[in-house]
Amino acid sequence: MVRWQDLLGQVESVASWGRKSSLWPLQFGLACCAIEMICAAASRFDIARFGAELFRPSPRQADLMIVSGTVTKKMIPMIVRLFSQMAEPRYVLSMGACANGGGPFKEGYNVVSGVDEFLPVDVYVRGCPPTPQALLEGLIALQRKIEDESYLGAWRLASRPEIPVPALGPDLVDRRQAGGIRAAMEKREPQRLASPRELPQARPARKAAELSSAEGAAVEAGAKLSGRVPADRVQASGASLIIGRDAWGRAARALRDECGYDYLANLTAADYADAVEVVYHLARTAAPGPALTVRVRTERDRAEVPSVVPVWPGANMQEREVWDLFGVRFAGHPNLKRILMWEGFAGHPLRKDWLEPYYEEPRKMFSSRWKEGTYRAAEDRNRWGRNVVYPDGFDGSVPEAAPSASPAAASEGDGEGRRRLLVSLGPQHPSTHGVFQMRALLEGERVVALEPVMGYLHRNHEKIGERNSWIMNFPYTDRLDYLTSMANGLAYAVSVERLAGLKVPERAEYIRVIMAELTRIVNHLWAIGFLLNDLGSWFTPALYAIEERELILDLFEMASGSRMMCNYMRFSGVSADLPEDFLPQCRRLVAERLPRAIDSLDAYLTKSEIVGNRLRGVGVLSGASAIGHSASGPVLRGSGVAYDLRKAEPYSIYDRFQFDVVTFPGGDAYDRYRVRMGEMRQSLRILDQALKQIPDGPVIEKNQYLLRVPEGEIYGRFENPKGELGFYLVSDGTASAYRYHVRAPSFVNLSALEEMCRGHLVADVVAILGSIDIVLGETDR
Amino acid sequence: MIRPWGLHLLRGMAITMRHFLNSYWQGIRRRLGRPGGGRFGAGASGIFTVQYPEERLPVPERFRVLPVLIYEEATGDIRCTSCGICAKVCPPQCIWIVQAKGEDGKTRNRPAEFTIEANVCMNCGLCAEYCPFDAIKMDHRFEMAATRRKPGDVLNLQDLLVSSEYHARIHPRAAAREAEARAKKASKGT
Repeated sequence: MVRWQDLLGQVESVASWGRKSSLWPLQFGLACCAIEMICAAASRFDIARFGAELFRPSPRQADLMIVSGTVTKKMIPMIVRLFSQMAEPRYVLSMGACANGGGPFKEGYNVVSGVDEFLPVDVYVRGCPPTPQALLEGLIALQRKIEDESYLGAWRLASRPEIPVPALGPDLVDRRQAGGIRAAMEKREPQRLASPRELPQARPARKAAELSSAEGAAVEAGAKLSGRVPADRVQASGASLIIGRDAWGRAARALRDECGYDYLANLTAADYADAVEVVYHLARTAAPGPALTVRVRTERDRAEVPSVVPVWPGANMQEREVWDLFGVRFAGHPNLKRILMWEGFAGHPLRKDWLEPYYEEPRKMFSSRWKEGTYRAAEDRNRWGRNVVYPDGFDGSVPEAAPSASPAAASEGDGEGRRRLLVSLGPQHPSTHGVFQMRALLEGERVVALEPVMGYLHRNHEKIGERNSWIMNFPYTDRLDYLTSMANGLAYAVSVERLAGLKVPERAEYIRVIMAELTRIVNHLWAIGFLLNDLGSWFTPALYAIEERELILDLFEMASGSRMMCNYMRFSGVSADLPEDFLPQCRRLVAERLPRAIDSLDAYLTKSEIVGNRLRGVGVLSGASAIGHSASGPVLRGSGVAYDLRKAEPYSIYDRFQFDVVTFPGGDAYDRYRVRMGEMRQSLRILDQALKQIPDGPVIEKNQYLLRVPEGEIYGRFENPKGELGFYLVSDGTASAYRYHVRAPSFVNLSALEEMCRGHLVADVVAILGSIDIVLGETDR
Repeated sequence: MIRPWGLHLLRGMAITMRHFLNSYWQGIRRRLGRPGGGRFGAGASGIFTVQYPEERLPVPERFRVLPVLIYEEATGDIRCTSCGICAKVCPPQCIWIVQAKGEDGKTRNRPAEFTIEANVCMNCGLCAEYCPFDAIKMDHRFEMAATRRKPGDVLNLQDLLVSSEYHARIHPRAAAREAEARAKKASKGT
């Protein structure tokens, strides 16, 4: 006699087996962990063996959400919305330290301390980042959980209450807490349970001097300027010029037109006790040499300087960033609004007196950690149990966000009866290479205007970096452009070494170049593979590229201990000598395998008719506008400008190697692709020389964790795989940086995106973005 | 010259086909015990997949995930002296140490509590690199998936302890080097 229960049990086990063996993950990645997630789906780890290879771009078709990376406050509303669009039974796998509990960026003002504050998480995968194998283990754990689940029970879950989408007010507002917030604000209850022991101190800005005391490039520029702007408006400060705010507009034009400073390398600001100083670093693409620093100062409480967008269009997004983080208005800016945080956010975070919710002390190490370091979670120190604070007078309510796109432009026609349509691509979209959004105004299928929207991965790198001791920034730089951590570390190390006057042993210099050039190959392989993904050749070229990349990552792991977050560079050297079998393996890879692999990729793609048809003549950027937009790296060289910082301003020992600067004149997506192909071959040339010449000897002068850097400042420029990576560092002589700014190539290169896209089809926008090659960890920092 | 459209496309497909056939070819060679065509290093060819969980990617000695604290296998003593250098260099400040106190109220050179927030740790290895007592090391264990966040996200002294023998097993070269350096130091001291 078959009992009904037994029969149901049979059905249940079959159904659970079916469900666990055909998980369809939602195709979206947040941060560094997403790269490891992609690797788990690639040929080495092959998530298809678990039946989970069908990454679905639509939440309605997915039943597993892999939260792969840092959950920011700006992104969490979208994540909750995506989750609520998934049908039951649905599962959440939280991948990596950030998604589990905030991770290394937990103290940041834009970071949610764990996605489980909003979503019901089924499995936590630990690691920073978890390796693909760790993710697979998490997947197996989830499968086991599903197996044990009762079929009926799972369906009953459908009655789980809807999670209200959190709102972006002056800070992130969880609607479930809104009543409590209102009550507490009315009673004026303190939001931080313990007030901070010590507040950050702002120091005064550097003194200005007579122009006659100027050094270096400032002498010549100062002399040329003195005829154009009133003499008392130009002063010197070492090798930089301090220009009066009212004269800056004219001076900028004169610098560009008469002194030849056609390239705005970097624009940022620093907050001092007596002024906010906007800092410009200018370079000449025609003449190699160090950048000229220009400072323009403004009052702290009514900060405003003239915009230089009309002179250097590349200033556009960088000025918006300074407005967002420092609260400096730029008079005459065409579109001055926040860029990394959202409109309505309270305060300008990089001001020295702005404190984030989890603020402890101005500098690390925090005194609560040692001697009497009884653990206390950051959440427990905050009234809301969250990483949030609200300004006085906030009543807890946030109106439903108005449709953020400008509806006026969308509904109106162009006057000739043609309707325009506003389309938002991203921030969850397979083509945007991460959490990036593009708002495209379309006429038919043609793009009329396009606005990049970012900040969904803004992890407060700079604010944290100004609290870190100098050495602590190394592992954070790994997480800027997480595909090129070795090169980021090199750039940061060299910048600080220059400032502190440290020497690097010969062997370490060679190791650094070897690592940096391997990184370039890794990056370009990835970029080309995913450019082809964007063109629609779903995954095959990417798989071939990732296979080679994995072999290089094995070398990184052997030397540094981690595939992606290498943390291998140190001040005055590298953290450890190469293991014995590194050089033989690396030589074999460079001499035999990689040239063949690149040739094969070349034969596979370069002349392919589809690749040609999709990329030729698409996203054309002329040399002049590439320079104007401050484009760098393959984007600049793909427009025919032979500007490579390894030649123009050589660092490390790049001046010893024979290599060519690869340029193509077309300026289209195809030429950017060809530049990358060519650069991989040049990297192999450099590697070949470096591997032949590498001497024996020590790899570090002195490995010290406490570095004191003398007072001063520096802007170091480096040719990272994606373009110019710059570190603007101001030291006040203490154990941490007073100002720590990262000039990220992915961020600045996006400034040319609209010009490239205008007039093209929507499908081409995807290809154009792929040809710029961005990484959001670096774009948003 | 007229070039037929699609010729290079066909060439590309031939490359894909070669990859496809090669995976079988190398598999047959492997079965027959022929050399070459492994999955690792510059000669990797054919099927590239590591069949996790049945097999695992070989882990290099320097591989790092979370930190662990070492106790001496022979005596059971914890190497940590609670000097606080690891807490001082920890970039995300996830190490919390309470120094032990004797009955006389004076501090002792060992930790009473040692806490690591695993969900904040960035696996960077700086603590292990700068520990002067070889007391904190980076573990190789990466399989730590859990269905619950707590209590695994905050590791206490007991969770963190591993034996010196375990350390020597996963870091054979480094542990031998460290033991040699310690022996040298001890002989100098006497």
